[in-house]
Amino acid sequence: MIIIRTIARLMIPFIQLFALYVIVHGGSGPGGGFQGGVILGASMILLVIAFGMEEGRKRISEKLNVFLISLGVVIYAGIGILCILVGGNYLEYNILPFGTPKHASELGILGIEIGIGITVFAVMTSIFFNTAARPKK
Amino acid sequence: MIEFVLGKYNYWIYIILMMIGFYAMIAKKNLIKKLIGMNIFQTAVFLFYISLADVEGGTAPIVWEGWSGAYVNPLPHVLILTAIVVCVSTTAVALAIVIRIYEEYGTIEEDKLLGMRE
Repeated sequence: MIIIRTIARLMIPFIQLFALYVIVHGGSGPGGGFQGGVILGASMILLVIAFGMEEGRKRISEKLNVFLISLGVVIYAGIGILCILVGGNYLEYNILPFGTPKHASELGILGIEIGIGITVFAVMTSIFFNTAARPKK
Repeated sequence: MIEFVLGKYNYWIYIILMMIGFYAMIAKKNLIKKLIGMNIFQTAVFLFYISLADVEGGTAPIVWEGWSGAYVNPLPHVLILTAIVVCVSTTAVALAIVIRIYEEYGTIEEDKLLGMRE
């Protein structure tokens, strides 16, 4: 038990750091929101396996989970609609007013990846928590 | 003959990995070990697809003006991208069920669980 907890306590920050790297790297190479979000979710699952359900729920409550799921979708759709508002098509990033078109599309893709990452992370933890939770008597 | 066998070493690696995972899924009694076997099995399938798509000297499939050369087929990568997420999701659900089984029965050994049925 103590070995599992010590290793988990050591590993979880690095797993989450790697997840953030994968999300940010998505625009220019292998990586992206899906994989990064899944790695973030896996770190949360490791925490629950090592420390128990209550500890996990303390970090991410039911309410926060639902909020994060919708927040990711809102970021995704918001960037898409922002592109329409400045006069392009849905998700046409290079028209966004962030300097050169190349820079704008990089920033747009980064925003999309962050949105996807948040939603995938929240959905993963939500699936895990709700399946593993004790049924209410 | 030897060249034929060694030249396709990616197939051998994926077959060996797949059989390791399959063995763990069938022969191990511990549910967590079964799950680890399932993950190894799935990783073997990912490696199979990714290595099939590889083109010697190929680059990422980003094409610009005045560019010529080989690029790696992106379709298997996209398929596996989805498969990785599915793999992690199935593992998450399975782990959650294992936690529930442990809370309910106090064991995750398959033979003990089956013995409790009577």
